[in-house]
Parts: sequence; structure tokens; C-alpha cells
Amino acid sequence: MTDTPPAEHAAGTQDARTVDPKLLEILVCPLTKTRLEYDAEKQELISRAAKLAYPIRDGIPIMLPEEARHID
Amino acid sequence: MRDTPGNTSSDTHFGFRQVPLGDKQALVDDVFRSVARRYDLMNDLMSGGLHRAWKDVLVTAVNPSKGDREFALLDVAGGTGDISFRVVEAGGPNTRATVCDINGEMLAVGRERAFERGLDDAVTFTEGNAESLPFADRSFDAVTIAFGIRNVPRIDLALAEAHRVLKIGGRFLCLEFSSVDVPGLKAVYDLYSFNVIPAIGKAVTGDAEAYRYLVESIRRFPKPNDFADMMRDAGFARVSHQSMTGGVVALHSGWRL
Repeated sequence: MTDTPPAEHAAGTQDARTVDPKLLEILVCPLTKTRLEYDAEKQELISRAAKLAYPIRDGIPIMLPEEARHID
Repeated sequence: MRDTPGNTSSDTHFGFRQVPLGDKQALVDDVFRSVARRYDLMNDLMSGGLHRAWKDVLVTAVNPSKGDREFALLDVAGGTGDISFRVVEAGGPNTRATVCDINGEMLAVGRERAFERGLDDAVTFTEGNAESLPFADRSFDAVTIAFGIRNVPRIDLALAEAHRVLKIGGRFLCLEFSSVDVPGLKAVYDLYSFNVIPAIGKAVTGDAEAYRYLVESIRRFPKPNDFADMMRDAGFARVSHQSMTGGVVALHSGWRL
């Protein structure tokens, strides 16, 4: 589907555990629809407006309030 | 699964049972958790391979950019990645797809397949709720939902969210089981769906109940014209639908203009 050589796909821009940067650009808090802060170390997406930290597990952002950690 | 009280205002349907609105998502989650790994195989067996033809019609309607232009698809309830892989393969080098599904097991299967196919750069996965999407306004050129909307407890919210995340000029496409309207076919379809599908489901996934739910939920889904009205209420323009295979399936279309 693309003219990208397979080798480049294999090298990839990321490994299996990180989130695609282009996905991060469009992700918002599902409750407030506001932008998120990416905490690469904790692998969390933080919604200051909702006071929630959404976990990223195996590179998949879990954008469900019931799965998020409450923050102050 | 527990017994639930009857028809109160906050109830929704789970197959033919009335269940409290808050319970439906958990019940649907159980169904898909139990069948995730064999979901695509089941689709082949249940539809006699027809689901592939229906999905081809959907992908053709999505019409991803064949050239270098960027094209972004959101596939809601697209867990195992089936639609997203097809669209990315049909499109040009800058066609990308985002899968959003509420079920982690389905997403895990999809992501594994994306790596196997070398499509992990083009297809990304997000766990989220169709009623409350985690994407910015006007992010996508197309939003699809294939055989997923009838599992959403509040369909009106899901339609409004699909409209919100579409770019102006973007298209919403919804593939869903419909109501068979050919008399002879209807009798065969009823017999097949209420008897054969749960039996295949039991043999392949060990879970007849899950597939009994799926069959019942199909019968409870709004008729195409009623669903078209729901789409208009959500803000979609130029709403239309086309029936396929004698009404077994309908492809619903609407635009954000």
C-alpha cells in the first residue's frame, strides 16, 4: 500500500510499547474534550481539566474515565 | 448474567431482554471478551464469507485518497482492525486509520495483527467509548462503524460523537445488519440465525449465549428508515442507505456538511 521499503517498516518509528505521535496530536480527554499532557515516563495521558490520568498499556491509550487515575 | 427488572425509563435492550442502561456495556463487554480471538473466523462461518463482500462495499464507499493526500479514518468498534487494514491497503501512502474500541481484548488482537502485517505505522489503536470519543473535533475524513452500533447502549450519543470528530465534508458510514424483507428469505434467515448461528458459536468459541445475544440484538436494531432519522437528528446531511443481500445488511451513509 505504500512505497516505503519493508526494512523501514521493520525499523519503525517506535516500538510496541510507545504511542504513535500522530495519535497523540488528536487525542483529547473524552469527558472535557480538552488537550492532554503526555507523561512518557509514567506512560500516562493527563487531563488537567478532568483531574484524571489515563493509562497507556502496551502502547494503547486507555481513554476510559473508569480506568483512569485521579490526580490533584 | 443476572435477572433484571422490567421496562423502566433507564433500561435498554440486551438482545431481547430489557436491562438497566448501566448494565448493557458490561454485558456486551463479556460477549466480546469471550469471542475476541475467533471473532473474524466466526464472521466468515456465520455469513458464509459474505461479510467480506459487505466490507468491500464499505471500503469502496470510504474511498481513501489514492494519491499522496493525507486521509484519516476513524473506525469505531473496530477492535480486530479488519476495516482499518482494508482501508489502509486500499489507500495511498498517507492513508492512516485509528481504531477505537471499548474492548481491550479485541484491540490486543488487532494490534498484534497490525504488527504481523507491517501496518503498525499506519493503523493505531485506542481504547475508548463510542458515546464519548477521545478525539478532537473535526479530526477525521471518514468515520466507520461496522457491525458495532447496535452494541452501543445510547446510539444517539454515538452518532453525535461521530459527527463531531468528522471534518467538514467528511463522511460517516455504518454497516449493520438490517431487516430481511424478501418473504422466502426471511423464513430461512430466521431459522438460520436463531438455530444455526448459536450452534456455530458454541462449536467455535464455546459460547452459544454470546451469539444468541448477537442474533437477538440484530432483531432489536432500528429499521433502516428509523436509523436514517436518528442520523439526521445527529446532524448528518444527505443521509442514505443501501440494502445488500436481500436486506440482511444495510450500509448507512451521511455527511458532515
